[in-house]
Amino acid sequence: MVGAGQVGATVVEALHDEHDVTVVDLDSGRLAALANRFDVATIEGNGASRRTLQEAGLLESDLLIACTSRDEINLITAIFSRNLAPETSTIVRTTNEEYLEVWRERQLDVDFMVSSELETANAVSRIIGLPAARQTDVFADGQVQIVEFDVVEGSGENGVVGVPLRQARIPRDSKVAGIIRGDRMILPRGDQTIDVGDRVVIIGSPEAARVWGEALSEDTRRLDDIVIFGAGRTGRAVARALVDQGLRVRIIEPDPKRAKLTAAQFPTVRVYEATGLDPEFLERERIGQSRAAVFAMQDDAKNHYAATLSKLHGVSFTIAIVHEAASTEVFERAGIDVAINPRQVTAEEIVRFAHDPRTRQVTMLEGDRFEILDVTVRPESEYANQPFRTMPIRGALIGAIVRDGQAIFPHGDDVLRAGDRAIIFTESARATTVEKAL
Amino acid sequence: MARLTRARLRRLFRRESIGVDFRSALGLVGASVKYLSFALLAPTAVALFYSEPPWPFLGAGAISFAVGLAIERAGRHGGHLGVREGFFVVSFTWLAAAGVCALTYLLTGEDQLAHPIDAYFESMSGFTTTGASILTDVEGLPNSVLFWRQLSQWLGGMGIIVLAIAVLPRLRVGGRQLLESELPGPEIEQLATRIRDTARRLWALYLALTLIQITILAGLGWTRIDPSMNLFEAVTHSLTTMPTGGFSTEARSAEAFGAASQWTITIFMAIAGANFALMYRALIRRRPGVLLRDEELKVYVVLLLAATVALTAILLGDDIFGGEQAVRHAAFQAVSTMTTTGMASTDFNAWPLLALVLLIGLMFVGGSAGSTAGSIKVVRHLLLGKILRRELDQTVHPEVVGAIRLNRHPVDERILRAISSFTLLYVGLFVVGTLLLVVDADRVGLNLRLIDAVAAAATTLGNVGPALGIAGPMGSFEPYSDFSKLVMIALMWLGRLEIVPIIVLFMRQYWRA
Repeated sequence: MVGAGQVGATVVEALHDEHDVTVVDLDSGRLAALANRFDVATIEGNGASRRTLQEAGLLESDLLIACTSRDEINLITAIFSRNLAPETSTIVRTTNEEYLEVWRERQLDVDFMVSSELETANAVSRIIGLPAARQTDVFADGQVQIVEFDVVEGSGENGVVGVPLRQARIPRDSKVAGIIRGDRMILPRGDQTIDVGDRVVIIGSPEAARVWGEALSEDTRRLDDIVIFGAGRTGRAVARALVDQGLRVRIIEPDPKRAKLTAAQFPTVRVYEATGLDPEFLERERIGQSRAAVFAMQDDAKNHYAATLSKLHGVSFTIAIVHEAASTEVFERAGIDVAINPRQVTAEEIVRFAHDPRTRQVTMLEGDRFEILDVTVRPESEYANQPFRTMPIRGALIGAIVRDGQAIFPHGDDVLRAGDRAIIFTESARATTVEKAL
Repeated sequence: MARLTRARLRRLFRRESIGVDFRSALGLVGASVKYLSFALLAPTAVALFYSEPPWPFLGAGAISFAVGLAIERAGRHGGHLGVREGFFVVSFTWLAAAGVCALTYLLTGEDQLAHPIDAYFESMSGFTTTGASILTDVEGLPNSVLFWRQLSQWLGGMGIIVLAIAVLPRLRVGGRQLLESELPGPEIEQLATRIRDTARRLWALYLALTLIQITILAGLGWTRIDPSMNLFEAVTHSLTTMPTGGFSTEARSAEAFGAASQWTITIFMAIAGANFALMYRALIRRRPGVLLRDEELKVYVVLLLAATVALTAILLGDDIFGGEQAVRHAAFQAVSTMTTTGMASTDFNAWPLLALVLLIGLMFVGGSAGSTAGSIKVVRHLLLGKILRRELDQTVHPEVVGAIRLNRHPVDERILRAISSFTLLYVGLFVVGTLLLVVDADRVGLNLRLIDAVAAAATTLGNVGPALGIAGPMGSFEPYSDFSKLVMIALMWLGRLEIVPIIVLFMRQYWRA
């Protein structure tokens, strides 16, 4: 691993248990901090140097993660790695969308590339698409979506809440994976009901997830007027993602040059040259009437202030992009609805790729109490070739399977086959058992 | 006023202190005059064909060749020809070309063209493709002189195409700078990389369109669909349609022809007012999609149709024409005025005031940028509209930053500023021109209505052609005083060259190093 910043530290935290990790960084202080917390080897040096890479044991390693904050260093490191150890997989972190584009066109010899801005933008757009969602993630190239919803007062009269699941009008291509009631997790049986105050985890197609969102949201209006504070790289990436969803977007940016650039880039977006911290401005432009606000400025404290101010002005849903690890908690405690840490998001992406090759993807829900796994079924598994109806329930639920690249939302008569990718909702404690069983 | 000491004078005129490579620029003007003299061979041939004296053309040709060569020699070769010199070359080329033409008229010995100011007016009107005339008896002139008069507009049009598409954008003037920014990609870059290449390609299109029009008009005459059209008329009127000129060899302009010919001319006038670079891409490069996507073209077509409908309604309402005639004359006058061609299919002088006001309004619209049309041009109106909308938006929402777009590409703020100031200059010149005409008419005792003065200033500044009243479509500018004629010559010259290149020549900053 090259780079021991926030992304690096998060990745190390997730990987150090099951893997031998060597961290390279120029800053000895950071390395020491990491070495104190985790069982990792550290090397002080430049990652974009062949000697350092060899010293770090690149030749014997399976995976190189280049996640410094500098794109070019990361790329050079990956190129050196490919030359020195062609068998070693490479992951590159980038902030530059053009690099990402080039990589997608297969012009960059890197195994995986991840952009903080883009991942953040996708996270924001997923949340805004589903206003009632606490958390959401996608699997199988976006064909399968997992959403955790709050069931709040006023979300009745939709045929889902308070009705036994057998009779409930569950949207097509979706499944209730679990009901979280207080500290307990309830596996959904036919006679179970979803009650107000529960949290439900849904696995289904993105379309079904949207229908769920409408059914469970107290406000059935779509979030269609979104204000973004800050037109930096992240702000613009978020704007792009939202505009692509067909939403009406407004951007507030204090820097005149950047405001102009943004106006030129997005024909349909209204750009204001303002700080967004001026109550008079917020009042005049009726920012309070917007359905959601995204705070994507550089400074966490400013984001915090602006978000609180917008709340005062009536913005009902606030999403803040946070940069310091500690900020997430502060923001959520202060009443900001969602705080997204780009470094956290990036680290999660990297961890997913670095994980067990059989397990494609892991998402944590409710802190780390629950996990969504994406596991490929072995031929010798006891569950292989069994119809879903006859499968014993052991604290886990298969929400969807991916067969030949196509997502299937299985019914009782469908049969699980060897080679299928199963998307499973389970308690974290049982994750290892589930993985072994399949 | 600072004291002009001898030392100061010397310093002022020392070549090093002048920031313009004056001699190189002059050399290029001389070369243009030299090449223009060859064009005089064409009327010579016509003169020989109709057994008319060829001497005026040969004489003027020989003189202008010699003068052009002398100026070219006096100028410097291989000097620096940059943006600054460009302004000079452009401004003086038109003055010189009109000079050559005037010399020809003077040598013909025709009474109507005997006065130098009259001859120069007619020449400037030709090379700026205006179409305003001081002739009182067009049909009394020999065919060869008439042909040369028509050809002067066609040559002027050739110059304008190059000017509009290749030269002015480099001088950061005019509409084509928009095209440069709106049409990125190798194709247009290549078009603009070399003026000579651009010129050749667009001239080929210009020539082809002229030949097609000649063929159609001559065909109409030959098949007796329009017996009033013969080969000479077909050629001479086609020569003044593509450059949006408007000179006619007939005293009654296009009224002398049948309906089929008038419709044909209407269509070709509309084509001439469209952007040549765009047409080149659509027709020669076979990418007709660009026509549908072009915002300016859309507005241009909509305006032409709207003006036609409005005029038709007025004509029908006042019972001046009925049925097809009303539509035809409305369309002809609307297209002719808006594209700044200036031919007439009827004497609209007698139309109701509302129609006249509408026509004067159209004089301020003009054709598309990159065409041979004059006036403010559609793209500027389009962008001015967008600027206005943004201003109003920002009055309500002061913090809003709006990018103004043309064909979905953001337009540079400097270009927008240039467009606003051009329009101001244009309107300012129009007002000054009108005032001068009114005051001068009063001085010499010419009976001039205000609307006549307005129309005369608008028509010459916009390079349209006919005005109202005495100088109406069937009339002549001859009654105006010499001073008024000089004013109108200046307006034609300024309007043709998009004002700015000439105005900058009068600024001290232009000449300073």
